[in-house]
Amino acid sequence: MSSTASSPALTAIAPGTLLPAPRTLPSTSAVFSALLRADLTTQWRNRRASVMTVLMPVIILIAWKFLIERLGGPFVLANSITIGLNAIGLMGYTNSIARDREKDIFQRLRVAPAPNWTIMASRLTVQLVMIAILTIVIFLVGYQYDHVALTATGYVAGFLVAIVGGAVYLALGQAIVGGLKNPETVNATSRLIYIAFIMVGMFGEMGALGAFMNKAVKYSPYGTVNSIVTGALVPGTWTAHTTIALLITLAYTALFAILGIRWFKWSNK
Amino acid sequence: MNTLHDAPVLRVEGLNIDYGSFHAVRNVSFEVQPGEIFGLLGPNGAGKTSTLSAVEGLIRPFTGAIHVAGYDIRRQPLYARACMGVQLQATSFQPELTLVEILRLYAGIYGVNLTDNQLNAILRDIKLEDHAGKRYGQLSGGQQQRVSLVIATIHDPRLVLMDEPTTGLDPQSRRQLWERIEAMRDKGHGILLTTHSMEEAEAVCDRIAIIDHGQIITIDSPQAIIEDNRDRPEVISASRKGKITLEDVFIGLTGAAIRS
Repeated sequence: MSSTASSPALTAIAPGTLLPAPRTLPSTSAVFSALLRADLTTQWRNRRASVMTVLMPVIILIAWKFLIERLGGPFVLANSITIGLNAIGLMGYTNSIARDREKDIFQRLRVAPAPNWTIMASRLTVQLVMIAILTIVIFLVGYQYDHVALTATGYVAGFLVAIVGGAVYLALGQAIVGGLKNPETVNATSRLIYIAFIMVGMFGEMGALGAFMNKAVKYSPYGTVNSIVTGALVPGTWTAHTTIALLITLAYTALFAILGIRWFKWSNK
Repeated sequence: MNTLHDAPVLRVEGLNIDYGSFHAVRNVSFEVQPGEIFGLLGPNGAGKTSTLSAVEGLIRPFTGAIHVAGYDIRRQPLYARACMGVQLQATSFQPELTLVEILRLYAGIYGVNLTDNQLNAILRDIKLEDHAGKRYGQLSGGQQQRVSLVIATIHDPRLVLMDEPTTGLDPQSRRQLWERIEAMRDKGHGILLTTHSMEEAEAVCDRIAIIDHGQIITIDSPQAIIEDNRDRPEVISASRKGKITLEDVFIGLTGAAIRS
């Protein structure tokens, strides 16, 4: 069996012979690439769940066609993207981390020469791929079905800001899975927060829940992400308020990430 | 002074592990030599898994030093881990991945390039060549255990750690696993295993340490431990059929009370 220069060969060794020790470690890129391939495959095998994650915002996008004239195409697109980002961070990422921790999958990886950060970076990269797929699907459905066309800059900026917005929910998911151990509790909590964000976020932002809630939602993770995505889709409409929303989004991300990293335990035991 | 060839593959010195005010492991020291199967025996909660977790680098000991193939697990954790293979108690692989995908994942992490022929040879060796495309979650307990063992040794580590490797296996699978463990020893691997099975300890271990309340009570070969303790009254009273076995000695030394 051949091996890289960094690891011993798996050849038959005579009894009593000392096995060779590694002189160098496998490269970080090789480790990361092996992890990423496995994580992408796992995501692909769970594609039904992934489709459901993307389906919800697509349904909203289609159902809200009649609101486009009143609220504007970019606003409706941004709402759908925000809901999808919510689902990816709170449902997909959080539950997969909780399950793998429960099964000791992380512990198995951690006793191999894989730096801890590569394990998490690989998981986050898969979620970035999901965010990219979600955004592209929303753009396509918006264009085809709702006839919402943006400028090239709008598409690129919207795509990039969706990643920034997605980071808030991934960080929030990390905080949930850090604060709670039991996978069922994690699942129930993330669902509750997801539904609360959607219901209160959507209706609150449209003013259906009163002036106070309208203001509160604007500064919530839902409202700030929605604001920056809307602003990015039509860069000409980016205002000082959008910049403040961006700063608040980054602050939320930092806060949740710090809590999530501090609280997180690799094992439930 | 040790020469290169008799240098221990694992050296644990003065290990202390605390969980809050609870002292799980107290001043534990032992060594595992190349080509040796070393068993860590103890009742539930005795400190076996804590000791093993510290060797794996999963928990940080309060005090003490652990060296794997000369690498300090705290200062050079990745090098130490590259020198060890671990078979965990739980079935800890992604159930969605196929056998081949899991083998490729861990080969990649350990920096081993596997050709298709080598992969097939591994699967043939563990009698799972017809299950290559099967998902890990669909394999039986015995098959999962064989996969777990082959992954633990895919990079030919100096040290192999096994946490209760035969738990839940039928007698045939258990015997087969013992033969595999002995074959690894014959190739020069040092093996540290924890077990509740005295039969297993007697059958495969060259030396054993009995640990209780976080402390090592005795370390020696199973036969020597039996001989040294056969006349103790608590061992004789634990004996059920007149002949003193390792289990009698174990119960005599650790007490008959059931642990949580």
